[in-house]
Amino acid sequence: MKNYSVVGKRLPRYDGTQKAVGAPCFTSDVSLPGMLYAKVLRSPYPHARIVNIDTTKAEQLPGVAAVICHKNTTSKLFNTSATIVFTLPPLVPVKDQRIFDDVVRYVGDEVAAVAAETEEIAQEALKLIEVEYEQLPSVFDPKEANKEEAPDLQGPREHGKNLPGEKIHLELGDIQKGFEDADYIFEHEFKLPVQKQCQMETMAAVATIDADGKITVYSSTQTVHPSRAILADLFDVPYSKVRVLSPPFIGGGFGVRIGLSAKAEPIAIALAQKAKRPVKVVYDREEDFTSSDTRHSGYVYLKTGVKKDGTFTARMMKAVLNAGAYCSFSTETHGVLGCMGLSLYSCPNQYYDGIAVYTNTTPSGAMRGFGSPQASTAIEAQLDIIAEELGIDRREISKKNMMKVGGEWVLPYQCQSIALEECIDQGAAAIGWDKKGTFDNSGSVKRGIGMACGTHVSNAWPFCGDYSNAYVNIQQDGSVQIAVGSPEMGTGVQTTLSQMVSETLGVTMDKIEVTIADTESSPFEIGAHASRTCYVVGMAVTQAAAQVKKEALEFAAKLLAERESCIYCAQDVQDLDIVDNMIVSKSNPNKKISLREVTIQAQFKGEQFIGVAKVVPQNAPPWLAHFADVSVDTETGKVTVNKLVAAHDVGRAINPTIVEGQIEGGLAQGYGYALTEEILYDENGRQLNTGFHKYMLPTAVDLPELQAIIVESDEPTHPFNVKGVGETGLIATAAAIMNAVYDAIGVRFFEIPMTEEKIYMALQESLKSCE
Amino acid sequence: MNKKTLTMVVNGKTVEKMVEPGDTLLDVLREELGLKGVKKGCGKGECGACTIIMNGKAVNSCIVPAMQAVGAEIQTIEGLSNGNGLHPLQQTFIDCGAIQCGFCTPGMIMSSKALLDKNLKPTKEEIKQALAGNVCRCTGFVKIEEAVEKAAEILKNGK
Amino acid sequence: MINDYVLPKTVEDALAALKQGNAKLIAGGTDLMLDLKSCKAAADTLVDINGIKELKGIKESDGNIIIGAGTTHQEVAESFLIQEKAVVLAKASGSVGSLQIRNTATVVGNIVNAQPAADAAVALVALGAEAEIVDKEGTIYQPVENLYAGLAKCKVDSSCQIITAVRFPALFSNQGSAYVRLAKRGALALPMLCVAVAASLKDGKIEWVRIVMAPVSTKPLRALEAEELLKDKEPSEEVILEASKKAAAMADPRDSKLRGSRAYRSSVLVNLVKRGITEAIKNARQ
Repeated sequence: MKNYSVVGKRLPRYDGTQKAVGAPCFTSDVSLPGMLYAKVLRSPYPHARIVNIDTTKAEQLPGVAAVICHKNTTSKLFNTSATIVFTLPPLVPVKDQRIFDDVVRYVGDEVAAVAAETEEIAQEALKLIEVEYEQLPSVFDPKEANKEEAPDLQGPREHGKNLPGEKIHLELGDIQKGFEDADYIFEHEFKLPVQKQCQMETMAAVATIDADGKITVYSSTQTVHPSRAILADLFDVPYSKVRVLSPPFIGGGFGVRIGLSAKAEPIAIALAQKAKRPVKVVYDREEDFTSSDTRHSGYVYLKTGVKKDGTFTARMMKAVLNAGAYCSFSTETHGVLGCMGLSLYSCPNQYYDGIAVYTNTTPSGAMRGFGSPQASTAIEAQLDIIAEELGIDRREISKKNMMKVGGEWVLPYQCQSIALEECIDQGAAAIGWDKKGTFDNSGSVKRGIGMACGTHVSNAWPFCGDYSNAYVNIQQDGSVQIAVGSPEMGTGVQTTLSQMVSETLGVTMDKIEVTIADTESSPFEIGAHASRTCYVVGMAVTQAAAQVKKEALEFAAKLLAERESCIYCAQDVQDLDIVDNMIVSKSNPNKKISLREVTIQAQFKGEQFIGVAKVVPQNAPPWLAHFADVSVDTETGKVTVNKLVAAHDVGRAINPTIVEGQIEGGLAQGYGYALTEEILYDENGRQLNTGFHKYMLPTAVDLPELQAIIVESDEPTHPFNVKGVGETGLIATAAAIMNAVYDAIGVRFFEIPMTEEKIYMALQESLKSCE
Repeated sequence: MNKKTLTMVVNGKTVEKMVEPGDTLLDVLREELGLKGVKKGCGKGECGACTIIMNGKAVNSCIVPAMQAVGAEIQTIEGLSNGNGLHPLQQTFIDCGAIQCGFCTPGMIMSSKALLDKNLKPTKEEIKQALAGNVCRCTGFVKIEEAVEKAAEILKNGK
Repeated sequence: MINDYVLPKTVEDALAALKQGNAKLIAGGTDLMLDLKSCKAAADTLVDINGIKELKGIKESDGNIIIGAGTTHQEVAESFLIQEKAVVLAKASGSVGSLQIRNTATVVGNIVNAQPAADAAVALVALGAEAEIVDKEGTIYQPVENLYAGLAKCKVDSSCQIITAVRFPALFSNQGSAYVRLAKRGALALPMLCVAVAASLKDGKIEWVRIVMAPVSTKPLRALEAEELLKDKEPSEEVILEASKKAAAMADPRDSKLRGSRAYRSSVLVNLVKRGITEAIKNARQ
């Protein structure tokens, strides 16, 4: 692989200082003159018709400026997720949400909203809204909701009752023949929990409308342009009359705001229109839990045929996911689950059926991994069973079956690089795989080691449309401005994109500025999701930088040719390069002129160097192997993770510190997915875990040593060989921990999180069956 | 409603504010004094984003009654880099990659500072304990702990 | 709606302030502020005791350890005196919430709140602690374990009485204590179960032991039968196990989706009690 001078360096984050000094840079920090504060009334029932709603008393409360509900807001249908914008034909985006409806479909669904002078007054006004509900039958489990007798939650649907979108079916080869060819067949079903993104900044939006009706929204969205499209369509104004922007940062996302920030933006706009003043909506933490998308829970069924030597002959997967009350991303998630789940390994005969089913829970949407953690958890836990039954080393069975470059799979693009074998070897060495089976487990605390593999994507295609645009401009003093629509939600995009531009253009990092996430100053961008920014937007800025460099060098060549002391003429442009802000001759390094001087001269001739790139990407799968070392206290069932290792084929790490940060953060979320994190509902459809005190995401004292190992490969689809790394960190973590727990105590689990109770009770059960 | 007079020292300056008796310290710092670096992540003392140092101790300003700060010495993130460039913790947080989304960062740095103000040789375990009340969803804490260790080193050598 | 916030300098002033309307005492306020916000509690005046100097701090006097009502969990957890002579309390207070919470919340607040799983209160019961209660009639002392009037209800009448301190006998060198806690997370989590044990050894035998379990009842629950069983016995593994089973059999934990089923908690409690007794005895021998 090529060596670079800026790419691959551990440079400090562009946004570090602002964040370190606590600068007001989030939507929740925005304050506008005359701004009102909004609060939302939410449904206490999982499914009910609003027979009557009376807001009179609330409107009369001093300090209240506007009250809205289904009676005085648009009844237009939309979808809070960005899928509405980039669903590719012939598929049609599912629109099943209104700002307010006369039917509520989950506990936390929006009923009304108030804008008032203070948050306290708004809160007080909510209590004065009188609502009469007629309760309707409800259902909370996707398998139950898929039955004939289940209540009908969304009326007639094209693809079947309670199905928001199409069933996904994938096939390769002949699945029946594959099972006939097998020496052994393994069949298991796994149950996956509801995980919550728990981004630190709750959903937030501040809307202001100018005298001409132009709408400006500061928003915590991960996708400003798709959000603008959703809002402009909803409020029936031209896209050009809506501006959505980050202020400039977002306090984490993890998928929860791909599209709108739940309903923060439309509620803020509707209230601002009515009150004719700016309105701020900031969800409290409980609202963020109950009323913004979660990860899809559900069931993954696997039937796998293998030869005695461990070679796969048939792989069948079926998934039934819980869509929750509204569609959000429930037409895509089961697609990614099936495609990426099947594509981790080579197998001539494959089969997948997947559905997502409406229920009366909080809607499921995008969360880091988007189907792949669900797939990997099931597949890699089952593979552990298969390896053990066949007496094959766990590492070897993965290596034997892993995808090959150009291998046949269900995806419409080629696998062009894979360094999974290196990931497995390096990860195994780091965890101390050789110690497996050698621990003294005679006491009540038992130790074990496990591993799991995974893959994912570097952008959203073919599951959604995917493209990016970028401007790279050389300013009149030789400094550089990049403009992209990507947000900075913690992933370091400004730094990483600048590094690629600096490398390409030869301009030093200190002279580069990046405008982000503003529909008015950046070209259309579908946003930060699908681990795509470094890959696709990276391609775009690199291409735009190369273009602007060409323009600058051509001008420089002409300029130099005009100068009598200079030996250059126009065709010498091939001999020129830009190094550290200087245009230099490759053949004679003593010949140079500063980029600044060239741009100043260009200005006199009325020329600016503007690079514009439009990129429609391929896709490239990243590969990963995770390892866990755990101890299980058999007297309590408590698992202590001693160490987690993640070795990832990331293509190339543009900024290794940032890449490690992504992997480590993913590992922490994977730890929670495996052991502690889960939203449960009571029999009335109420979430039991509505805050950080009840939803057990890991803290500093829970997390073990996390080791991220970067493995590089020569991915040819990206100018700097990049692959997506935003989501990969948690994909195989749960399965690695499941397999380590089995290694420690000899009991398999088919459900996560593996709480102390589940482990303890399973141990008691296994003791009983031994007696 | 009777507003009460709250006099306290915030980031080295004496301030006097009329506050409502039910206000939290977070309300006053963030909304009245405009110290937006004091973040609100949960409003219930469950995430640590609003952590400030009050009389030398890290506290969740979202559940401290404002009136409890009468006569108190308060430090917020805004007071750390007062005119003298970045505090070593701010610098090491940047250098080590301890900052991602940045929403937990001010509280995380204040908890770290409260620790280092008393202990310049913290063990990994002591660092973890000091930060256990500060939720971070981005980093996995690896680089945060490293940043605190490095800042301790710098402060120790500087003294 | 809070209309007034007063900061009395003396206990007498605090008592006087309590008489005005619907007043409530506030110390750390970590629970009260949330209860007020969520309307679980109501008050129009808050009487803050943090300005009362005599309520601050930890001292030893005539073999008793006295902890003032304004003393925080972290002060207790870090106190060498408590670590040496009542380690069960240092551990219990040290496991509350997070450092930020422990820097604000008070040990006595754990009693007033009367939550059955409040760590410090469980430890105090094991230590045989008494609360010092002041009202206009004077001062009385009540065992902490007798102050529970039902779930989350304290017998102390907060409209006219103030718990000013807790006191308990410092453990001698032949005595030891231990705190065992099972929680879903290492911080910011209420216990699924906790066990506090204090024990005294004499001539190699158990002179007395106090075993307290929570949350398995409406209050921290003494395992009296188990205590009785262990009395005058040499602490063998067998007898400790037997006592642990007896203790756990008394427990009546609720089924909780958040903090464990009744079946799980009842069963695992045996192991926790066993660990608590074993560690307390080990601690007594050291």
